[in-house]
Amino acid sequence: MRVMIISEVIQDDGFDGAAKMKERLQRRNQTRIEDAERRKEEKESRSVAEEKDEYFSKMFGEQRAAIEELLSGCSGADRAAVSQKLEEATAKTAQLQKFLNDSVLFLTQYELRQSQAALQKLQASLAEAREKALPKKKFAFRARSKAADKVSAPEPAPPAAGSGEVDSAAAAEQSGFSNMDNEFLTKTSEEIQKRDVLLTHLTNCKVRLFGSPSTLHLKHIHGCEVLCGPVSSSVFVDHCSNSTLGFPCQQLRTHNTTDTQVYLHVTSRAIIEDCQGVSFAPFSWSYPNLDQDFSVSGLSRERNNWNQVDDFNWLAAGTPSPNWTVIPEADRKTSWDP
Amino acid sequence: MGLLTILKKMKQKEREMRLLMLGLDNAGKTTILKKFNGEDVSTISPTLGFNIQTLEHRGFKLNIWDVGGQKSLRSYWRNYFESTDGLVWVVDSADRLRMEDCRQELSALLLEERLAGATLLVFANKQDLPGALSQEAIREALALEQIKSHHWCIISCSAVTGENLLSGVDWLLDDIAARIFTAD
Repeated sequence: MRVMIISEVIQDDGFDGAAKMKERLQRRNQTRIEDAERRKEEKESRSVAEEKDEYFSKMFGEQRAAIEELLSGCSGADRAAVSQKLEEATAKTAQLQKFLNDSVLFLTQYELRQSQAALQKLQASLAEAREKALPKKKFAFRARSKAADKVSAPEPAPPAAGSGEVDSAAAAEQSGFSNMDNEFLTKTSEEIQKRDVLLTHLTNCKVRLFGSPSTLHLKHIHGCEVLCGPVSSSVFVDHCSNSTLGFPCQQLRTHNTTDTQVYLHVTSRAIIEDCQGVSFAPFSWSYPNLDQDFSVSGLSRERNNWNQVDDFNWLAAGTPSPNWTVIPEADRKTSWDP
Repeated sequence: MGLLTILKKMKQKEREMRLLMLGLDNAGKTTILKKFNGEDVSTISPTLGFNIQTLEHRGFKLNIWDVGGQKSLRSYWRNYFESTDGLVWVVDSADRLRMEDCRQELSALLLEERLAGATLLVFANKQDLPGALSQEAIREALALEQIKSHHWCIISCSAVTGENLLSGVDWLLDDIAARIFTAD
């Protein structure tokens, strides 16, 4: 820039030139002051971001203290109160994890690490409190959580079990129905217990699955009524239309589905993606061994988030997704007998 | 001393690895992550966004990124590619109908320049289900033998029982460590 000024000066000549230069210098001084001002403002706005940091640690600390208090209140209280407290603590921990995830962008490495560590500690003490307070809970996942402990200890993978499983998988095909029209189809508990069930290309069928499968896949289902016992993990629905579905499960993922009613018991979350006209109501089907199958599946009967549906095509917070609705109580189906 | 050597030395000091876990939705990515970390897996919801977990294992610090696999989220995967040391591709072994989808998504991923140096671990998950495809069947369905651009390995596992999760991650760590920490 200085070079420019000199060249300009050289070009100008006489007194007139000197006056002009003075004026120019003044103007430059002015812009320099303005620049400095701007920089100062920028610095100030950055300090707002630092306040955000403080805000994070304050919020995080508060939430953490709240959860710790909940956990410490667990000893001595009665079962119902304890389970409610644990429930609340679990939800709060999940919220806190989400808050941390959302804040990752502006946190420093150190803070992130610290918060992660704090969260892990919380989760550990939560699990411990749960184990201590509710040792006899009906959760079938208990056996699995014991397996989790084993995982942390390095164990040589049993090669025999691996190859054996491959063989049995080849022999035992997936259980289910496909390519049927206008049929009434049932499966008994022995046929589906702890197995993966697949229903594909069914039209105008009524399907009853009595029992507790491990997982359930529905694909290309049109004009059907599908009812199933408690599914211990996830249900996956794809390309379904004009149908009525009913099942308890841990997770539900619904894709490319239109005008379908779902009578649902879901212990974590249901999601929809590329769906329209999907409506939800609480699971209401019943059959003689339902209670027994519920305990086989390990699903909690108390926790049902049937009306908390996440739409992956509708991420605007605050406004409800137009792609799904709750079935009004008066319109819900109560009698399922064929 | 070249720039690469300096970078290697820096990584060696930290012994830190960044693992990216991807796969179709319902493959069990979050369940693997939580199980590996010893957390409760019965309350997991479909991932709306991503989870990160930092954990210590065999003296390494692992930053594991678990990104949601829903169709509408897959276009965001690329935001997580940068400086990935290991890619964990999780497959629902019982989902025969979407094996072709799974193969396509994986092969598109392997063309990605920013993942060029990453080691690939394929988890054939959900082996606890009787209808699960075997490791060999999945190796074939995903055409893994054709992968020449990456070090890869397929390991069958079950996130709910925890079976083989450890041996899979151990293989991944060994491969990455051999590449960044000792190669000179």
